[in-house]
Amino acid sequence: MRTRDFLKLAGLSIASRILPASVMSLWAQAAEAQAKGRKVILVTFGGGVRTSETFSPEGLHNIPRLAKLQHDGFFYQTCQNQGVLSHFNSTASIVTGNWQRVDDFGFEAPASATVFEQFRKAHKAGPLDAWVIATNKSFAAMGSSAQREFGAPYGANVILPKQLLLDAVKDIVKKPSAANLSDRDAVHRRLETILQEGYESVGWTIFKGSRQMDKHVQSTLTRALGEFINGPEAPSSGDELTYFITREVMREFSPRLMLVNFWDMDVAHWGSYSLYLQAVTRTDRLTGMLWDEIQANPKYKDQTTLLILPELGRDGDQNTANGFLNHRSGDPSCRNTWLLALGAGVTKGATDKPIRHVDVAATAAAMLDLKPEGLAGQPAREILV
Amino acid sequence: MAVPRFDFAHVPVTFAAYFNEQLRGWEALFPAEQAYFERLGTYLEKAPPAMFASLAELEPRMGVTPQTWPRGRFTLQQVDFLNRNALYPEWRRVITQIFDQINPVLDGEIAAKGQPRLVMVIAPADLPVGPDRMWTRLKGRGRRVSLAVPDDLSQYVPLAITGKPVPDLAGSLLDLCAAARGPYSAWSVETGEALAGCARKATQLSYEKLSAYRQRLMEEVQKIAEKGEVRGPRQLGEKLKTLQPRDAEYSRDPVMSEFVRATLLAGNGTLLVNNTFVEWATVQAIRRAKPSLVVANFGIRNKVKPFSSLLIFEDQDKATAIPTQADMLGSYVDLEIFYQYVFQEAGKYVEYRNNTAYLFLAEGMDEMHLIAPPDFPLSAGERAPLTAIYRAAREWLRLS
Repeated sequence: MRTRDFLKLAGLSIASRILPASVMSLWAQAAEAQAKGRKVILVTFGGGVRTSETFSPEGLHNIPRLAKLQHDGFFYQTCQNQGVLSHFNSTASIVTGNWQRVDDFGFEAPASATVFEQFRKAHKAGPLDAWVIATNKSFAAMGSSAQREFGAPYGANVILPKQLLLDAVKDIVKKPSAANLSDRDAVHRRLETILQEGYESVGWTIFKGSRQMDKHVQSTLTRALGEFINGPEAPSSGDELTYFITREVMREFSPRLMLVNFWDMDVAHWGSYSLYLQAVTRTDRLTGMLWDEIQANPKYKDQTTLLILPELGRDGDQNTANGFLNHRSGDPSCRNTWLLALGAGVTKGATDKPIRHVDVAATAAAMLDLKPEGLAGQPAREILV
Repeated sequence: MAVPRFDFAHVPVTFAAYFNEQLRGWEALFPAEQAYFERLGTYLEKAPPAMFASLAELEPRMGVTPQTWPRGRFTLQQVDFLNRNALYPEWRRVITQIFDQINPVLDGEIAAKGQPRLVMVIAPADLPVGPDRMWTRLKGRGRRVSLAVPDDLSQYVPLAITGKPVPDLAGSLLDLCAAARGPYSAWSVETGEALAGCARKATQLSYEKLSAYRQRLMEEVQKIAEKGEVRGPRQLGEKLKTLQPRDAEYSRDPVMSEFVRATLLAGNGTLLVNNTFVEWATVQAIRRAKPSLVVANFGIRNKVKPFSSLLIFEDQDKATAIPTQADMLGSYVDLEIFYQYVFQEAGKYVEYRNNTAYLFLAEGMDEMHLIAPPDFPLSAGERAPLTAIYRAAREWLRLS
């Protein structure tokens, strides 16, 4: 430990003994106020992306927004996924701070408490204060854990916009009428109907006393869908819808803790490198737009920390399976990704010191003034101010 | 070849399970695979227990017991058990270490019986780049060769494969190789049907010709997904194992029938993207059948349509009225990495090391990329006509 760090720690530990109680009380109030205002948004490049297509010299052109933002934030060159290399377990490890080994396809809730539950329980935060907005349609159980003392009553709202879109599109495809997917109005009408009639069938978890969706939530989502469908460019991506829904949720409910899971880049499984690269660039653009929204929204500006990371990498080109198509080899290309922290409390810088996926929840918890127990992860001190 | 029997009592159960699983599907293995497992089994029977000491020590720490891993059985639950185990990365490391000891011994036997091999990869016309950007991932290996190409593009493939502008089966590299070394020694894999007319006796796969089977598989996958009967891809794969092709050309050959099914269902986007099918089928053919000659003929992939990309198992043409458009630039980007993957895959196996010529052609392009041993019979210098490429390939493969 460096001398300065030691003195800092020592100073803090003896402060309560030597300072007057009134001063200590003021500090505590200030900390509480800061904690109340502080917001954390986790953004995952879901589906998996390799460093070679992102933060490598030859990959930077795929992520022009993040390449620029990198210099405004703190960048970890290596963020390790040491757990199970499936989508659900990878993201569940990120949000719980413990390596998760549950069902790979989301049929089980995370085994340990999520940061959403920790946050809501410790701060008595309301049901609209924590959200998971995920393109991956198997993430319905991502908002809360199987832990008895936590669980759904403290969980995040989970919405799966792509699943909503899928259901609407499927319904239209099956109708023998002239309506088809080029008819935006038809898709929009169907989306609205699903929202009004059966949002639970598409895997959403919106916390409310009854099974009725909160009218405010419903109107917010419907408006976002309208803007999405009638936007200037023909929308073709689940991630675009995820972004629009996220933006509307931020504007209407200003949650303090969110996970935004983009997932288009999992198209790599189709074996099209160009579609994968397009998805990477789209995710970069949408993440940049999310950052712009944070800057433009007074409820978020200067009080929000954005933690951006891939949920996993993908197999290296030399790998025995099939390179970028998969993410099961466990090679460094698959396990070693990166993390970019931006916004409130983050000083500019970079480090080659590795951080782990499980450290993300611990860091977010520290930012939200939580002290969860039993985490495998450690707070990342470099970005905790 | 009858299913061989081996005594693996001394082999740790997680290792033996992999081997036994291969024996269970013995009838669906190619001769090259059967020969490999024969050699591997014979070697393992005599292998000293010390070879497996690390694995034997690791298995109990992973929770492997006779209850969780009954000897002689291998189930999807066991696959999940491994994948989710905290010690899985270590298990993989140990397995790799064991194979690092085994492979040199088995490879030595094969290398002694080596023969010249040839991999030909043909890119479609209309890719929006010139020869300088066509094979950038292979730069530093091999050389570009100047070609004289016919004005009539329809003659390109027949000239390269049969030596004549109109397919001449008597001179077909594929048929000559198949006749000399067996049907699984010569493969053509393609998006369209250009190669289909250039051979009769070789093993041939065409994405277009499998259209009916692909459609049936997609419908079945869609049905199963809608019923919610399966939890994930592994379970889906198990359920779809019975859906063999009905097309006459494969139903008579159980090995190819299973190969086609597995390629379309286990190969990610192979059902949906023509070039992915060609790449994965080629890679699998090299890995499993170890052919002497492989010709992979790629095509142009279609653009992804708005919304319909979300419905991966729907008929894209029915799902939207927007006209289908070819994606030239996207296809170029896709193929550039596939050239590398095909090249690399062959290099992983002793059968192909130091004795394989790789010919990367592009329809209509006046250059090709050649990676070959120094004695490949194509001299540098003058622009070579496609017939010269054909003759060099034939001579290299010793096909008289």
